[in-house]
Amino acid sequence: MKTIFKVVALTLVATAAIGTATIDRSWAAGAKDKPAQGKLLGDKDYQWNANGGEKDEAEHLKPDPVNGRDVYEVCAACHLPEGWGQTDGTFPQLAGQHPKVIIKQLADIRALNRDNPTMYPFALPDQIGGPQAIADVAAYIQKLKMNPEPGVGDGKDLEHGKKLYKDNCVRCHGEHGEGNNDKYYPRLEGQHYNYLIRQYQWIKEGKRRNANPDMVQQIKTFTDRDTKAVLDYVSRIKPPANLIGTKGWQNPDFQ
Amino acid sequence: MIVKKITLAALVLTGGMAAAPALAADGKALFADKGCTACHGEDAKTPLEPGYPRLAGQNADYMFNQMKDIKAGARANGLSVDTMKPILEDVTEPEMRALADYLGGLGPIVGKGDPAHAGRKLYMTKTCVACHGKDGAKPIMKTYPYLAGQDAAYLTRQATDIKTSTRKNGGTNTMQPVMHLVSDAELAAISEFLANVK
Repeated sequence: MKTIFKVVALTLVATAAIGTATIDRSWAAGAKDKPAQGKLLGDKDYQWNANGGEKDEAEHLKPDPVNGRDVYEVCAACHLPEGWGQTDGTFPQLAGQHPKVIIKQLADIRALNRDNPTMYPFALPDQIGGPQAIADVAAYIQKLKMNPEPGVGDGKDLEHGKKLYKDNCVRCHGEHGEGNNDKYYPRLEGQHYNYLIRQYQWIKEGKRRNANPDMVQQIKTFTDRDTKAVLDYVSRIKPPANLIGTKGWQNPDFQ
Repeated sequence: MIVKKITLAALVLTGGMAAAPALAADGKALFADKGCTACHGEDAKTPLEPGYPRLAGQNADYMFNQMKDIKAGARANGLSVDTMKPILEDVTEPEMRALADYLGGLGPIVGKGDPAHAGRKLYMTKTCVACHGKDGAKPIMKTYPYLAGQDAAYLTRQATDIKTSTRKNGGTNTMQPVMHLVSDAELAAISEFLANVK
């Protein structure tokens, strides 16, 4: 009898092992309704942003910002009611981000195309809802005014950072880090420095497997000095005045 | 031969599912027979010493995973290695499942925290609430633990061990990245708040 149970255990372990071949998803154990994982950076024929599915569906729906507020409630625990994130970079600022960027990243986290254990449960349908809810929350987030005092670097190498930004980043992320909604390029201006550092590093090392291969290539030769300088510069770019909130603003939707 | 074994295993597994009520009854007997009651208490909520966890009503899937991880050595903090592991060496996985289901069935864990407690504000602002739910009584995943009414010393020990990566098993990688937000003093206040959720 004992042997049989061992075989059961082995079978279960073996099944689990197959599931973790590419990504350790032990943290996802117990999750229901997992969408199929797409191809990732490092896989053959990986194409950035070609995973379709829910993302395509969500971005063609008419968003309901009123429902977006209700959906956002679960996000507010970490990203704060204002969407300003944590200045130390533990959680990114979401306020003012492009809807298609939010939709793509949510869909990627949900499908385990972006490995983010802390965030993962919140991207699941039973927490956040289906494609309509994703479209709604993305519309709500876009309207939030941005943090006037994001976390920044030491400010010692900004001229070097500015030059690097112009030469390497402008083509996709725009003159002042405004990003591009239609191309899923995130708004970078005013994002917390430590968050930028972390994601950039993960993109560079191949750990963030939903990354754009063009960017991986672009930053391949950047030194540590380059990295700090360019991201410090980016974190200090002031977004347009009409997108910035007032210091100490509290989101009345959650008071 | 392997195929045969797996088929047999599948049959046993199916049989086990159909006989779930019988397993639940076994869980109670196992809890006494395997010696669990000595430390965790006969009712599974009056542990022998501070620092030992209350188990009654905890998420069954969470407990099942912890037992597996302790037996496998994946969870190796605190008393896991010296005290729990030798006991679990003699517990099979189906028995763990029965134990977990029995203990989980002693819930539900419910209760309200003291809104004026200093730890409550920290619990809300240090992002604990996002995963463990209001007053630690509504974890968002079945693999995440309830914290409401848990032993304060146990809560502090586990959170500290996760912070320092001394405990690294299961879902701790969801929690470790936020632990730098909490100082030791803040953690003690949060634990005390949660332990007193009634």
